[in-house]
Amino acid sequence: MKKYLVLLLVSIFAIGLLVGGCGPAEDVVDEVDDVTDELEDVVDGGQDLVIAIGAEPENLDPLKMMSAPAATVAEHMVETLIYLAVDGSLEPALAESWEPTEDGLAWDLMLREGVSFHDGSPFNAEAVKLNLDRFMGKGDFEGEAAVYAFLLSEVDEVEVVDEYLVRLHLNQEFAPIAAHLSHSFIGMHSPASLEALDAGQYVEAPVGTGAFKYAAWDRGEQIVMEKNEDYWGGAPELDTVTFKFVPEASSRVIMLETGEAHAIMAVPPTDIERLNDLEDIDVVFENSVRVIYMGFNMEDEKFEDVRVRQALNYAIDKEAIIATTFQGVGEPSSAPIVPAVFGYTKVGPYEYNPEMAMELLAEAGYADGFDIELFHPTGRYSQDATVTEAIQAMLAEVGINATLTTYDWGTYLDTVIVPPEQAEHDVYMLGWGTVTLDADYGLYALFHSSQWPPANNVSYYANADVDALLEEARVTPDRAVREALYSEAIELIWNDAPWIFLHNEGQVNAVRSNVKGLIHHPLENILAWDASIE
Amino acid sequence: MYGYIIRRLMLAVPVLIGVSILVFAIIRFIPGDPARAIAGVHASPEYIEQVRKELLLDEGLHVQYFVYMTNLLQGDMGRSTFTRRPVTVELAQRFPNTMILAVTAMGIAAVIGMSAGIVSATRRYSLFDNVSMLAALVGVAAPVFWLGVMFQILFSVNLGWLPSGGIGTWKHLILPALTLGLATAALIARITRSSMLEVLGQDYITTARSKGLVERVVIYKHAFKNALIPVVTVMGLQFGTLLGGAVLTETVFSWPGIGRLMVDSILTRDYPVVQGAVLLLAVFFVMINLVVDVIYAFLDPRINYGSKEVE
Repeated sequence: MKKYLVLLLVSIFAIGLLVGGCGPAEDVVDEVDDVTDELEDVVDGGQDLVIAIGAEPENLDPLKMMSAPAATVAEHMVETLIYLAVDGSLEPALAESWEPTEDGLAWDLMLREGVSFHDGSPFNAEAVKLNLDRFMGKGDFEGEAAVYAFLLSEVDEVEVVDEYLVRLHLNQEFAPIAAHLSHSFIGMHSPASLEALDAGQYVEAPVGTGAFKYAAWDRGEQIVMEKNEDYWGGAPELDTVTFKFVPEASSRVIMLETGEAHAIMAVPPTDIERLNDLEDIDVVFENSVRVIYMGFNMEDEKFEDVRVRQALNYAIDKEAIIATTFQGVGEPSSAPIVPAVFGYTKVGPYEYNPEMAMELLAEAGYADGFDIELFHPTGRYSQDATVTEAIQAMLAEVGINATLTTYDWGTYLDTVIVPPEQAEHDVYMLGWGTVTLDADYGLYALFHSSQWPPANNVSYYANADVDALLEEARVTPDRAVREALYSEAIELIWNDAPWIFLHNEGQVNAVRSNVKGLIHHPLENILAWDASIE
Repeated sequence: MYGYIIRRLMLAVPVLIGVSILVFAIIRFIPGDPARAIAGVHASPEYIEQVRKELLLDEGLHVQYFVYMTNLLQGDMGRSTFTRRPVTVELAQRFPNTMILAVTAMGIAAVIGMSAGIVSATRRYSLFDNVSMLAALVGVAAPVFWLGVMFQILFSVNLGWLPSGGIGTWKHLILPALTLGLATAALIARITRSSMLEVLGQDYITTARSKGLVERVVIYKHAFKNALIPVVTVMGLQFGTLLGGAVLTETVFSWPGIGRLMVDSILTRDYPVVQGAVLLLAVFFVMINLVVDVIYAFLDPRINYGSKEVE
């Protein structure tokens, strides 16, 4: 009797496992089977591209997007009004042209005519207004703004002038607005698709105007997109593009070698040389938009003297750090922003010169050096802790004894981004990606004296001349004039040395040689609309 | 028996409440502002405030826990702060994949482990015994992520037989299941061997043999069944470990299971998902322990958990 009871229980449990375990999964497996079959069908000569990336997008909603993988995937399906090209220039996309009104307090966007969303509805000024209002949390969408709503913080109102003309009214003159509108997170979605969302639901299957249409998203595995035959820019050559999410870097490399992926992002430094030697694989080096730096607490008396700050810049061998820690990927910072950013001027790098460093320190009255508290994150930026340890050793050579402190990222931000009277650190490590590729976002946010914590001028840097230049560059529409203003500001900042300028991060992708036309973007995107497989 | 099971299920309730409090508290005792960590370095103060409100971070811990439990009892585990999807949906999509992987791995482990253990025990000190026990030692010691990458290099890159990762056909299952199962197989082999050796030395085995029973019957009917109890215990415990150990395997093989979901969620500080996943695994662990205890009674009639009505 008991035996049967036990048997019964065990079998119930087993059935439970099977039903609970396999039921929902079967659908997924079937779906995936279909996709896999399709993929296998076309491996011989088909135009089906597979790209393996490390992380999965959170979702594809302009309101909630905040990662590079989300931007990469979204850009294939959803377009922005203005496109930010690899060289940093702004090109027409859904807007054919844009210009400020005479007083500079509004911008007119002339829209491309004859464009349809993937659901067939027309792209027009009303659609633009709806998308922008939703992004800013204004008009009909009062309440919830996008994570990146600060990009449009100077926009007061979006006006529909006629079917293909939109006027953005600004709170004050704001020249970088065109660059900000080019941000991948401000994509144009079909109004119908946005209105169909339930409360609390966010876009996962975007309906845009892009070269590819959404096909499937198998969470934890892949997103599949198919060719948009009616694309206004001409249908792409590829039939499908699949982004696979492969967190382990060495697994991505293996997928590339076996041919399971045509391209991979973020090749681990240790594999670069080996992949370079393989005949059918090309390694692609591209800049990123992020600078890594050690900021000084300028309210600390040790760092009041500019010679001390410059001395510490001379004391660090940036070349050696890049060669050893990053296998040569990246470059020493030559300005507070990277070369890909509009407004960049080359003013550095500070050469490695420990003698000069010690001389400057002696001149400033610190011939015997001093002790500092150096705070740094661990695991947030590539090799952050290793870089910090190298810097600790180099500082010791010029008599500066650094005590290292590290925290979990959330705690770290809380500890470092504080008003001067709460600061525990003398020097801190942070990075900044100028994601708009416009100097305003890289310089104003970090060096303007109005941006002390809780904003991001964590060094408590204040220079009235720099403030004036940055303010003027914000409101000057002429790009050549802006460039000159930024050039002047960068020179001042560089000589004031509120940071130890370290390095610009690099990115390394790898592609099978038979794939042509992939775009490797400094914004850590890989873009496939012009790609084809030979 | 029913009484026992009901009693055990009732006992599971305080255990699970304990787990939920623990997970809830640990996540919240991490110093620093979780809202800031979730929102990221570029986020505006307004957005950070919005996240703080959403996670009730301004309320007291007891209030947060009470709200969490109230929602949980209604089947609502909140929304992921990263993907913005309901946590229950995230878990429901991933958990089956992990189950498939863990059950297959356990199947592989049981077959390999038990056969190796039995043969080793019956041919003690033979070449097979020595080789398989050495292999078991290596199997227990080899780190999962290393083994996984070695398999990928051998079977995917060099031989080209199997896909290196992902999910889909049965082919996708082989490498991760083998990687995950081998350590358990090694453990089962060692336990089976020693347990078999102990049983084979008992008087009743000598009796069975002297009755003239064929060796096969002695070994499988008389010895093996009695040797199974420690093996089942280990398997039960290992099943829990497999679910947890799937974290590494799932990452190496890009398998969309709950282990990878947990890793991703920890990296993105997605507290609601981490909480939900840990709680789900805890429920499962408790269930497995119960099933193991029930199987004991089936294997050894002397164990009856003090109930008389089923006799």
